[in-house]
Amino acid sequence: MGLNIVVLVKPVPDPKEPPRFKPDGTLDRLAMKLALNPYDKYAVEAALQLKEAVGGTILGVSMAPPHALDALREALAMGVDEFVLLADKRLAGSDTLATSYALSMVVRKVWSNLGKLDLVLCGVESSDSNTAHIGPQIAEWLGIPGVSYVDKILEVSAEAVKVKKIIEGGSMTLLVKTPAVLSIAGTTYVPRIPTLRDVLSARRKSVTTWNIDEVGIDPARVGLLGSPTRVVRMWAAEVKRKGKVISDQDPDRLVDEFLEELRKDGISLR
Amino acid sequence: MDFTITKEQEELKAVVREFADKHVFPRVVEFEANQEIPPEIVKEMARLGLFGVVFPEEYEGLGLDPITAGLVLEELVRGDPECSLAVAFLVHTSWGHIACKYGSEELKEDVIKRAARGDLWIGIATTEPGAGSDLTGISVTAKKEGEGYVLTGEKAYISGVKEAKEKGTWFKDGGGHVTLAYTDKTKGHRGMTLFFIPLTDPGITVRLEKEFGRKGWSFGSFTINEVKVPEFYRIGDEGKGFYIAMEGFDHARAYIALTCAVAGKRALEIAAEYTKQRRAFGQPIAKFQGVQFQLAEHWSRLEAAHALAYKALWALKMEQEGKLNRFEVTKIAASAKLFAVEAAKAALDGAMRWMGAFAYTEENPVALAWKAVKSYDWAEGSLDIMRLIVAREVLGKEYIG
Repeated sequence: MGLNIVVLVKPVPDPKEPPRFKPDGTLDRLAMKLALNPYDKYAVEAALQLKEAVGGTILGVSMAPPHALDALREALAMGVDEFVLLADKRLAGSDTLATSYALSMVVRKVWSNLGKLDLVLCGVESSDSNTAHIGPQIAEWLGIPGVSYVDKILEVSAEAVKVKKIIEGGSMTLLVKTPAVLSIAGTTYVPRIPTLRDVLSARRKSVTTWNIDEVGIDPARVGLLGSPTRVVRMWAAEVKRKGKVISDQDPDRLVDEFLEELRKDGISLR
Repeated sequence: MDFTITKEQEELKAVVREFADKHVFPRVVEFEANQEIPPEIVKEMARLGLFGVVFPEEYEGLGLDPITAGLVLEELVRGDPECSLAVAFLVHTSWGHIACKYGSEELKEDVIKRAARGDLWIGIATTEPGAGSDLTGISVTAKKEGEGYVLTGEKAYISGVKEAKEKGTWFKDGGGHVTLAYTDKTKGHRGMTLFFIPLTDPGITVRLEKEFGRKGWSFGSFTINEVKVPEFYRIGDEGKGFYIAMEGFDHARAYIALTCAVAGKRALEIAAEYTKQRRAFGQPIAKFQGVQFQLAEHWSRLEAAHALAYKALWALKMEQEGKLNRFEVTKIAASAKLFAVEAAKAALDGAMRWMGAFAYTEENPVALAWKAVKSYDWAEGSLDIMRLIVAREVLGKEYIG
């Protein structure tokens, strides 16, 4: 069948390093080493498994400054075939609305270049902002179906995908017309560790860099000025919930007391 | 002089670190207890390409230099301070390189390609029950017979005999050892020749030893009962085996120096964390200068050992580029091994003391590292042989022996 899959990935401050903040409380991204957003690795893995099952091409897309390419190369090492980087200083300060607009324009251009697009996959959220907005917003901009919190892609045909989506307290199975945007959550798709040879060959894979003019992005709708979101203040959330310590020498009594506390809060265990 | 590494090297290290953190470190105690590395870990090493690092690309390797191989090894040791993975990697890398450098085209097609894919492991067999530091005492012989050689004798205290003998468990085709034999005993060390011997041959009988440490990779002896190998399994010319083996030792010693430095540093990190948690006399023991000063001394020595190990790997690379001669490389590799083993043993001894009685258990990675590093008092050349080499190169050989 051969699927054309776009995977959206984002460079984030390396979660393995301690975070550094600017005086206003925002992350000091320039002072931190960048890495591929860990959530995006699940989307890359999902794309790779689809390609292995039915064939196709995986194109990575990211909106990031050029120096972030080193962090994004991990996606190429994992098996993404080629890459498009949208890099433009005018994009700096974009909120999720502006970012999803810009990325949707890139996907539109890629779609038109390829002639056919089947799926746009992304991580459910990014580890540095955790909004989970981008996937659904891109689906809206493109006017195609979007499913968030996809745990597993169950079946794929030329016109549709069947997916299992996580919902509170369970899951639901949806049949979705393609092209569609799926944001991948959960750990069904355990990201593979690239081989050393893949790491070496990732440096030889094609990376195309576009600026916003090449994609036809309206400069007034991106960057700080094109972003309706205003960050007024950043502060650590206050935890109001209190823990309760139950102690008892007798483990049976301890478990009973624990269950009783849960019952008081209306939680019943089956 | 530049200690920075390339972006590419950083990316290679990151991959191996991820593998080591996720799949290796949590299971190290299990290696020692079960006396083997779980086959799935070795297979994953093969999938990642870890058995093909230095082999040329035309033989399905990655064509990387010894420094990059060292960076990769460093991550394996961080993940496994018990050093079994290090043995699997460094012996194969060093002696595979030698087999590739001096072997015939047919050997490269047959053996090296499989080795690079991780389908076959390459070990080293020079030591015998009656010969170690003095290799002229070996008794294994190889007789030319028709289109090949027939080998007979016994090798002892050899790493990887089980993994090489058992086809399909760790490696698809098992493995074989670069084996030193006499083709002409009357000529002494000038009558020695190296051969590749597959341990899967029915004429090979393996006997396992109960090793003291680094138990994840087997260790034992094998008898060679009239095993016939094709002529193309000869590595280098007849009579050159001793000299070629000495070159292989330089490679192994450089990687061993790195292994010891990194195992020592890793153990100090683990022990340092422990001293922050462990309280005695009202404060964490890390606050006592008695601990701090020792830690600083050991760390500094290991830092020096680490740098010297990379100098030895650099020397191997320079030799490959024709910029350093054999004697210079041998001297640096011997110094590196000598210094790193001693520095690591001292550091591990200290680290175990700060960890108290908990250190004296089979479940403490620091204790496992101590036992592993101890093996390098002998493996791939004893420390006194290292001293002899360095003294010989500094004073001149007329003052030695």
